[in-house]
Amino acid sequence: MHFAVTSLTAAEEALRAEVREFLAAELPAGSRPALGFAGRHAPEFSRKLAARGWVGMAIPPEYGGHGRSAVDRFVVAEELLAAGAPIGAHFVADRQTGPTLLQFGTEEQRRRFLPGIAAGEIYFSLGMSEPDSGSDLASVRTRATRVEGGWRVTGTKVWTSEAHRNHWFAVLCRTSPPEEGSKHAGLSQLIVDLHADGVRVSPIPYLDGSHHFNEVALEDVFVPDEMVLGELGSGWQQVTSELAYERSGPDRWLSTFPLLREWLREGPGRDAGKHATDDEAVVLGRLASRYRAIRQMSLSVARALDAGEAPAVEAALVKEIGTRFEQEVVEALRAAVETELDAGSASLFEALLAEAVLTAPSYTLRGGTNEILRGVAAKGLGR
Amino acid sequence: MSDDRSMLVEVATGLFGDLCTPEDVVAAEGSGWSARLWDALAESGFPYVSVPEEAGGSGGDVADACALLAVAGRFAAPVPLAEAGLLGGWALGAAGLELPEGPLSVAVGRPDDTVSLTGGPGSWSLSARVHRVPWGGRAERVVLLAPSGGSTYVVSAPTSSASVTPGRNLADEPRDTLTWDGGALPDDAVAEAPPGVHADALRLRGALARAALISGALARVSDLTVRYTGERHQFGRPVARFQAVQAHLVTIAEEAQLAQLAVQVAAGNARPDPSFADVASAKAVASEAATTAARHSHQAHGAIGMTKEYELGQLSRRLWSWRDEFGSERWWNRELGRRLAEAGADELWPRISTGLVTA
Ligand SMILES: Cc1cc2nc3c(=O)[nH]c(=O)nc-3n(C[C@H](O)[C@H](O)[C@H](O)COP(=O)(O)OP(=O)(O)OC[C@H]3O[C@@H](n4cnc5c(N)ncnc54)[C@H](O)[C@@H]3O)c2cc1C
Repeated sequence: MHFAVTSLTAAEEALRAEVREFLAAELPAGSRPALGFAGRHAPEFSRKLAARGWVGMAIPPEYGGHGRSAVDRFVVAEELLAAGAPIGAHFVADRQTGPTLLQFGTEEQRRRFLPGIAAGEIYFSLGMSEPDSGSDLASVRTRATRVEGGWRVTGTKVWTSEAHRNHWFAVLCRTSPPEEGSKHAGLSQLIVDLHADGVRVSPIPYLDGSHHFNEVALEDVFVPDEMVLGELGSGWQQVTSELAYERSGPDRWLSTFPLLREWLREGPGRDAGKHATDDEAVVLGRLASRYRAIRQMSLSVARALDAGEAPAVEAALVKEIGTRFEQEVVEALRAAVETELDAGSASLFEALLAEAVLTAPSYTLRGGTNEILRGVAAKGLGR
Repeated sequence: MSDDRSMLVEVATGLFGDLCTPEDVVAAEGSGWSARLWDALAESGFPYVSVPEEAGGSGGDVADACALLAVAGRFAAPVPLAEAGLLGGWALGAAGLELPEGPLSVAVGRPDDTVSLTGGPGSWSLSARVHRVPWGGRAERVVLLAPSGGSTYVVSAPTSSASVTPGRNLADEPRDTLTWDGGALPDDAVAEAPPGVHADALRLRGALARAALISGALARVSDLTVRYTGERHQFGRPVARFQAVQAHLVTIAEEAQLAQLAVQVAAGNARPDPSFADVASAKAVASEAATTAARHSHQAHGAIGMTKEYELGQLSRRLWSWRDEFGSERWWNRELGRRLAEAGADELWPRISTGLVTA
């Protein structure tokens, strides 16, 4: 395990300045920030961002993208998340599906989807979890049966974020029975149109009352051969591939940053800090110093990716500590203000705090729980 | 890391590996001091890394000195390496005073210290009582900052004329009280402090140095805990196979990495002097990491960790001391928080999103 300290180049800092300027113009002062990448679905904003070249940055120009480095993507992502920009429409396609298609997809699939992803116009959901398969993902039961020209898929996916708004989802399913001794064999990823016949999307109300989650029932859904993502039977390797290394970005430690900023604005930062108490200063200093250090870890992984390394253990550590820290921010601020929470509060900070308390448990679950991550990391440490 | 710095770290690791084994550290506990190690370090010029060659030092920069201190921390080295170069040597060099041959320490500037320098060239005399001076009784000279006649002076006070009341930290490292009773000082022991040499700057350097020692000790604690839990069997398997134990290992590794990166950023940005925000973050993160990692690594070790001979205790007792020296995490968090509150909400993200700045 190794985290090399790294600095941003002048070009990377210039990119940051451009994004900051764009956001200052796009997000009016006093408007309500989104908390994290799943905070708000806003296609119009996604398209504007794409027009600036800040979606599909990992995708090469030949597929309509921009062929930018992991560090460039890091810089753009951290500016967007820190500002609380509404990136929910394109973010999953941008972070996850795009790179997966690039690495494993067929030429036809790349031509079909990547330009739309890079334009901020095609949105993807992830079809992995099922009622009886969560952390033990290889136990999925959704199955695809061979038919003329393609597959018929039947099964139920759950917790499918934004399936009611997105266009497609990548479904992990069985295309052949598990082999003796390997439950990982026989799994494939299929690209399924969320509006195809036989696909039924129903809301699962989210803890805060919003519509985020869905159940997606697939009943005999026809999926043509050309929609098999990558190689048949390689679904497991694909979902657990080195792309997982890419999942330790700023979205894993900045979800609650806007909350801290609004607390500072309404609380200890008023009148140039004249009224800040010692306890408030300690909370602010502690969160800021840890943000700085966690950011450095996350940035170091991006730099390693650009150097062609495969920092799997490092990425797991960043996600583990980063997501726990996102939750710590919420509780530290709650403890600092001593109020009764009300989502309808006239104070922007208090309204955000209410939202954060209701969504914070998800940070250490989504994308693989922290218990599972600790297992991955611990194995790597022993090596 | 630059090639020179990698070389420095490699050579230092070899030297400490030979002369500062866990057995050597145990053997040095009675006095908190290893003369053999100090002599070898001095021979190689290590104590004065980061002090310019023109001033009699070994050259190199603050980042080199911190890399060296991380190695010293990893080996729990019973010598005043941090005090000699980054603090005392820096102040003497900047003031144009000579660096002593023997060990050098520094009075850290505590609220209960009193320092009175009177007279002038040819007639300097010093009355002072300074507390918790690291290796104060072992040092040849102790650097003091003394106000006199509206200026501040750097004093290279000879310990031969001081009376010493021994004190210790939790790791039995000497933290002595020294008293000078109005004795005369030679002219070459006093110089006006140049701009930039003042108590706050000394505190920043002291905090950075302790954070660097902590980061090295944490890396070792992490390795040690991974190794021990991989070897220790209970219920028929290594205890590291238990998820509850794995959680300890992961937390220790995370904290160790946070501290290391925070120190490297602060040290790397010190061109030539460390900045307040960098050091505040680094010391706050390192002190908290010391607390957390010590707790988890003792838990993962079980009773063996509670023995004085086992290496973990040499490190954890230092971590529990160093986290408070030159300001605890609460102290630095509060100072940092005050400045951030003053700067206001819209300045927060710009200040968080600066890390190591390209040279
Ligand atoms: C906000 C949110 C959005 C999501 N969006 C999507 C989505 O769009 N698409 C999708 O497919 N999924 C999505 N998920 C699901 C997510 O991937 C799962 O929640 C996650 O993989 C865990 O599965 P589970 O919830 O079934 O918990 P379980 O696997 O049932 O785990 C329950 C508890 O047991 C622990 N546990 C399980 N196995 C082990 C083990 N081997 N060792 C130690 N502890 C263990 C877990 O850590 C957890 O604490 C989303 C989840 C959330 C919270």
